[in-house]
Amino acid sequence: MKNIFLIIAITLFSYASTAQDADAIIGVWEPSHGKAKVKIEKIGEKYYGKIVWLKEKIDPETGERKVDKNNPDESMRNVPLLGYRILKDFEHVGDGTWENGTIYDPENGKTYSCVINMKDENTLDIRGYVGVKTFGRTDTWKRLVIKNKK
Amino acid sequence: MKNLAICFFGLMLLGSGQLCFSQVEDEGEEKEEDYSIYDDYELKDDTPVKRYASPKIKGMSPRKFISLGYDIQLPYDYEFSNVRFPQDANGFDVDEDNPNVNETGTIDYTGGIRFGSNIPIISKTSFVWQSGINYLDTRYNISPENNSPETVTLSNGRQARSLARILDEDGLRNLNWSNTFFFPLNEKEFFVFRGQMDLSGNYSLDDFQPLNTIRYSAAVVYGRRINDYYRWGIGVARTYRVGALNYVPVIMYDWTSKNKKWGTEILFPARAYVRYNINNNTMLLGGFDLQGQSYRIDDYSINGNSFEIRRGEARPKLQLQTKVTNFVWASIEAGYRINWSYDADQLEGNNDFFRGFFGDQQFVMINEINNPFYFNISLNFVSP
Repeated sequence: MKNIFLIIAITLFSYASTAQDADAIIGVWEPSHGKAKVKIEKIGEKYYGKIVWLKEKIDPETGERKVDKNNPDESMRNVPLLGYRILKDFEHVGDGTWENGTIYDPENGKTYSCVINMKDENTLDIRGYVGVKTFGRTDTWKRLVIKNKK
Repeated sequence: MKNLAICFFGLMLLGSGQLCFSQVEDEGEEKEEDYSIYDDYELKDDTPVKRYASPKIKGMSPRKFISLGYDIQLPYDYEFSNVRFPQDANGFDVDEDNPNVNETGTIDYTGGIRFGSNIPIISKTSFVWQSGINYLDTRYNISPENNSPETVTLSNGRQARSLARILDEDGLRNLNWSNTFFFPLNEKEFFVFRGQMDLSGNYSLDDFQPLNTIRYSAAVVYGRRINDYYRWGIGVARTYRVGALNYVPVIMYDWTSKNKKWGTEILFPARAYVRYNINNNTMLLGGFDLQGQSYRIDDYSINGNSFEIRRGEARPKLQLQTKVTNFVWASIEAGYRINWSYDADQLEGNNDFFRGFFGDQQFVMINEINNPFYFNISLNFVSP
């Protein structure tokens, strides 16, 4: 009986620990260009990231708020970039890695396959790629928090 | 103990319940979220973030990872001079202005496959290294005039095929390995370094020419990325693009209009294009390429020397690039091939020399080829 309890306890503990590791990605992050902030959250069993802040909120060409004007789907071109989900469908596969997701680049309207690696608790390596991981580019994102105001 | 286990299960269930609850909250809060709260978010890690210039600007033509194409020139006439070597006290004794023409005729077909690759080995914000193998196969179908000889006599008394026969039977090949490094210094400044090794000649893939005939090119450019639409750079290159070894200044000027319709892609003198983006998936480029290499002709390379055709050409052209599927683009190109040089040098001991634009070293062979229209099509695996 003691052994059964021990096995169950270890299983549950490791499950809880894995879930905690998987959720380490949740938070607000800044891509290397510093022009946006992206909030990564969990919906169901997958992870998604949406733009929650833009350095330049107004499109200088139109004088209106920035929209997804490069989207290949014309019906999406009036959707505001603020709140837009650019990271989709990521699954935690262990070892600080989230895979099987996509990243959308509003600059050119293209969607790339993507893998996320957590370098440390405040740093993500986000690699967008075409076909296989070799054909891609890695961007480093840093974690953002609200700091206590003095 | 039993109670403890039940309690543990209970806590786990409660935990999962909270998780489910928070998920529902997350989904529901999308429309109501007050984004102004994110103004106050700051980097958790106090280490200053170093930002780097991106290796491209908006609106540029897609970067080609892998390319497979075919190049063909329309018929044109040729005149090849005597093969005069080795050098004596009077030089090669070739009258460069009025060479003694030995072979004449028409080149009915000039064409072959073009394979290119440019694979990211390291591609990070702070550093990009791309490496690629490229292969250019040029085949000829030549109709010599009746009085053109089929053989020539070399200085060692041996008979060798005429140059027209060599080109007709062997063609010319270029195999090269290029490496490009992009070093951003900060958000504005960057360096680009490119090195390339070329093996060019009438060799076949199962019988390479000596590796000491590899020719080395390099270029370094210092650039400034002014904004997302414009960057410029200056540098210097050691190049074989005009056939023979040369050192030339390099100017980079990439610009895109704010509406992304117009732009330039210039890395002078290697290439310079004006770009018109018809839509997100199709663009038209007009401009020119400078192409060339030093091609060893094995039959004439005797006594430890290398006999090399300094093939250089300018190609003013129009090129249409259009998306086929998501990451596969087609390129259709038409233009005019203008001969810059098809003359030949003899390199003693395979060692190259610098003539530049003003050097007075004599050529071994003076060749004239006329200028035809050409066409090129390719299918490219790209990063848009």
